[in-house]
Amino acid sequence: MKCTRYERWLWDELEGRLGTAQAQELRAHLQVCPRCQRQWEAARATHQALRALPRYRAPQQLALQVRARIQETAAPKPEFVWWKRVALAPALGILAAAAWWGWLALNPDSTYSTETATAAHSVENWVEIHEQLEVADWSPTPTPSYFITTGYTQ
Amino acid sequence: MVSDTVSYTGRIIEVDALSAEAQLVERAQAQDETAFEQIMHLYADRLYNYILRMVGNSADAEDLLQEVFLRAYQGLPSFDGRASLSTWLYRIATNLCIDYQRRRARRVQTVPYLAWEDEDGEVGHWESPDTQTPDPMEAALNRELQQVVEHAIRSLSPKLRTVLLLYDVEDLSYEEIARVLNIPMGTVKSRLNHARGQIQKQVEAYLRGESK
Ligand SMILES: [Zn+2]
Repeated sequence: MKCTRYERWLWDELEGRLGTAQAQELRAHLQVCPRCQRQWEAARATHQALRALPRYRAPQQLALQVRARIQETAAPKPEFVWWKRVALAPALGILAAAAWWGWLALNPDSTYSTETATAAHSVENWVEIHEQLEVADWSPTPTPSYFITTGYTQ
Repeated sequence: MVSDTVSYTGRIIEVDALSAEAQLVERAQAQDETAFEQIMHLYADRLYNYILRMVGNSADAEDLLQEVFLRAYQGLPSFDGRASLSTWLYRIATNLCIDYQRRRARRVQTVPYLAWEDEDGEVGHWESPDTQTPDPMEAALNRELQQVVEHAIRSLSPKLRTVLLLYDVEDLSYEEIARVLNIPMGTVKSRLNHARGQIQKQVEAYLRGESK
C-alpha cells in the first residue's frame, strides 16, 4: 500500500534526513490522508517527548560508594589467615595434648600410636573449622547487588 | 577562509578531547586515584540516566551504576583504548542491565505488570513497580505525554529499549551503538524503527483518546 512508504518517511522527516522533493511529496500526502496525518502527529509528539525527557543525576556519594566497593573486593584475606593459623595451631595442639593426657590417665590400656593419630587429626579438624569460620567472617555482607556481582557472566 | 579556520580549530579541539581522555585512562591505569574519580565524574550522570530508564527504579539503578564503575576499575588494566571510553562504559552498563533483567524475570513470579515480546520472539515481563519507596523517576513524571512515553519505553523488550535509549535519549550515533552492542548497524536501525513504532502506537492511542 502507498501509505507504508510515507510511514517510513515520518521519522526521517523529523530528523531532517528527507530530501526536499520527498519532503514535499510527504506533506502533500499528509494533507489528503487523515490516517497518515494521525501517524505524523503521533510521531512528532513521540519525537518531541523523547527529546524532552527529564535527565537524572547520579547520587552525590557515588565516588565514595565505589571506592568502598573497590576496597571491599580487595580485602587483605591472606594476611589474616596466616597469622591466625600460626597462632591457633600450637594453642589447639596444647589443648588436644592435654585432652589426650587426661583421657590416657583414665584409660591406661590404650595404645600410644592410635591416640597420637587421633589428637593430630582433631587439631587438623579444628584448624579447618576455624578457617571456614574466618572465611565466613571476611566475606562481604550480601547486598542487593550480591547476586549480580557473583553471578555475572560476560 | 573563515570556515577553514573554524573547522581546523574544531578538529584540534576534538583531537585534544580524545587525547585528554586517553591521558586520563593512562593515568587511571597507573593507579592514579584522582584520574579514576575524574572518569566517574565525567560519565556518572549519563550512565545513571541510561541505567535508570533501563531498570526502572532508582535503588537498583544506583547499585548498578556502582557496579559499572567497579567493573571499569577492575577492567582498566586490560582496556586497550581501541574502543572509546564511553563506548566501553555503555557496554558494561548494558550488559549489567540486561543481566539484571534476566535474573529478575527468572526470580520474580508475580503478576506481570508489563509484558514484552522481541522481534525475534524473546518474551518476558516486568514486575509491578515498587510503590513503597518514593521514586524520583515516578515523581518527576508530571506531564501526561511524557508519562505515556516513559511507560511505553518500559514496555519495550530490553533489546529494543537499549537501542532506543542510546539513540533517542543518550544521543549516541548508529555507529557508536553498533560498537556498544557489537551488532551490525542495520540491526541497530531496524531495532530503532521497531522501538519507535511501538512507542508511537501508544502515543497515537493517547492522542486519539485526548481528542475524543
Ligand atoms: Zn496515508
